[in-house]
Amino acid sequence: MTGAGEILLRAEGLRKSFGGVQAVRDISLDITGGTVFAVIGPNGAGKSTLLNLMSGIYQPDAGKLTFSGVDMIGMPSHRRVRHGLARTFQKIRLFKQLSVLENVLAGFHLHHQIPPWQYILHGAAFRRDRERCRDDAANLLAFVGLKPRAHVPAGSLSYGEQRMLEVARALATAPRLLMIDEPAAGLNAAEVEALLGRIVALRARGMTVVMVEHNMDLVMRIADRILVMDYGQHLFEGTPADVQAHPGVIAAYLGAEVR
Amino acid sequence: MSIVTSRRFWLVVAAIVIGLLPAIFTDSYWRTNLIVCAINVLLAIGLDFVLGYAGQLNLGQSAFYGIGAYASTLLITQVGVPFWVAFVAGVLLAGVAGVFLSVFAVRLRGHYLAIASLGFAVITYQVLLNWISLTQGPLGIYGIAPPPPFAIPGLPPIEFSNLASLFYLTAGFAFLVYLLLDQLVRSPVGETLTAIREDEVSAASLGVNGQKWKVFAFAVSSAVAGAGGCFYASFVGTLVPDAFFITESFSILAMVIVGGMGTLIGPVLGAILLTVLPELLRGIGDLRLIVYGVSVTLVVLFMPGGLVQAARLVAARVRRPAKVGRDP
Repeated sequence: MTGAGEILLRAEGLRKSFGGVQAVRDISLDITGGTVFAVIGPNGAGKSTLLNLMSGIYQPDAGKLTFSGVDMIGMPSHRRVRHGLARTFQKIRLFKQLSVLENVLAGFHLHHQIPPWQYILHGAAFRRDRERCRDDAANLLAFVGLKPRAHVPAGSLSYGEQRMLEVARALATAPRLLMIDEPAAGLNAAEVEALLGRIVALRARGMTVVMVEHNMDLVMRIADRILVMDYGQHLFEGTPADVQAHPGVIAAYLGAEVR
Repeated sequence: MSIVTSRRFWLVVAAIVIGLLPAIFTDSYWRTNLIVCAINVLLAIGLDFVLGYAGQLNLGQSAFYGIGAYASTLLITQVGVPFWVAFVAGVLLAGVAGVFLSVFAVRLRGHYLAIASLGFAVITYQVLLNWISLTQGPLGIYGIAPPPPFAIPGLPPIEFSNLASLFYLTAGFAFLVYLLLDQLVRSPVGETLTAIREDEVSAASLGVNGQKWKVFAFAVSSAVAGAGGCFYASFVGTLVPDAFFITESFSILAMVIVGGMGTLIGPVLGAILLTVLPELLRGIGDLRLIVYGVSVTLVVLFMPGGLVQAARLVAARVRRPAKVGRDP
């Protein structure tokens, strides 16, 4: 894994408006490779919009965005995946009719090693590729604890399992930076612990993780840096300890929970 | 894997059945129906590729069918091109028309794409009907020759004016296209198209360029329909625009749905059933249209997965006869 310790993703002055609402106003950030970067803030603070700007679902009205030095502005989301940006969705978007395994297999889209003619006449290279994908998918499913569920339809998984499957599917694209949007939403305490363990394991492998999350306990325990947003604006950025000590943050956001 | 469940076994069975059919049905009435079946199988699996796999509700299939038929025929009769050259040109032209329509598919989804593709089918029909200097309009084109004899050294040439050989040609081609599409959908291409069908935003998050793959699915689907059109023209010997009216799109759609979308074998069965059923019901006169309509409606109501779903339910019941009351 490259990029540990250096700036992997850089945003400068990102702006996005919907109608008259400024969802993201002038956000700048630097995300260091191999770290967990959390974005927190009250509902409607623009966290998910920021993630959508980074993953290419939306294009910003203004600002710069580079990923390992490559300009991302104007690049559609499917192209950004090639550069190593992957994401999960806040509102789960699995292929519900397909099996758990098939969901992960779809994630290998960019990584097949099959000569074009073997798509029509399946040969040795084709079979090797299929086997490799199945093995890799099985490993990813084992990583998120879903291996025993490989052959059930994705739609029949529990909510927590579906969130973990989204993570496995995103990892299949072999990203350098994984964006996860509210991964702990709807998870019970045991599932949150499992999720935390997985994120820590990913970081240990050198993966960069950007996480939008409401679960303060989770964020404070694993984030290296935290960006606090309010009304689309940058309110504060720092380590978990800095954030917990910052009076403005406590007033705007944590206050309600700490009380 | 037991031999009965292996894919190869069933492909060999299918090939043998195709080989035997003209020997079982020796009168020209049923041999004609066999050829219609083979053409409809082509049209149905072609539509299924874009509809059942890529999830694009395309109602323009009658147009691609007509473009293949008229393009190849006009090249033969007006330009004097040999049959197989005209065939390839007809297939390519239909494919290009599919790419043209897919430009809209990239922007439109679901019902909107259905309307746009239906509009394309209406326009194509109107052009065939009204561009009289080229297509003869409603008067039609007559006396279209069957494909030229096929000579194998040392054997008597195969004449395609013979219905049995013409059946072997069309059914053999349909079989080949089936094999080709089957290989494609069981490769990562199948996974990619299904991902687009299930959730395009999600597919994009995995690096899938939805626009490119939709264009590909439309091109393949319409080229296959174009091939069906080429065979149709040389088999019937007459072309009138009414053969490519928009109702043809719905007939093909019914075959795909009754058989089972998103599987390849389903549309094959659907095409055969919906071609043969009206013929079997001829004995009851106009009542047959009602029986036909009611049976299609019943299948869609009670078996939304089509014949394939029905077969799977039966197979599951046979395998586990003890467990009653576990029906989905």
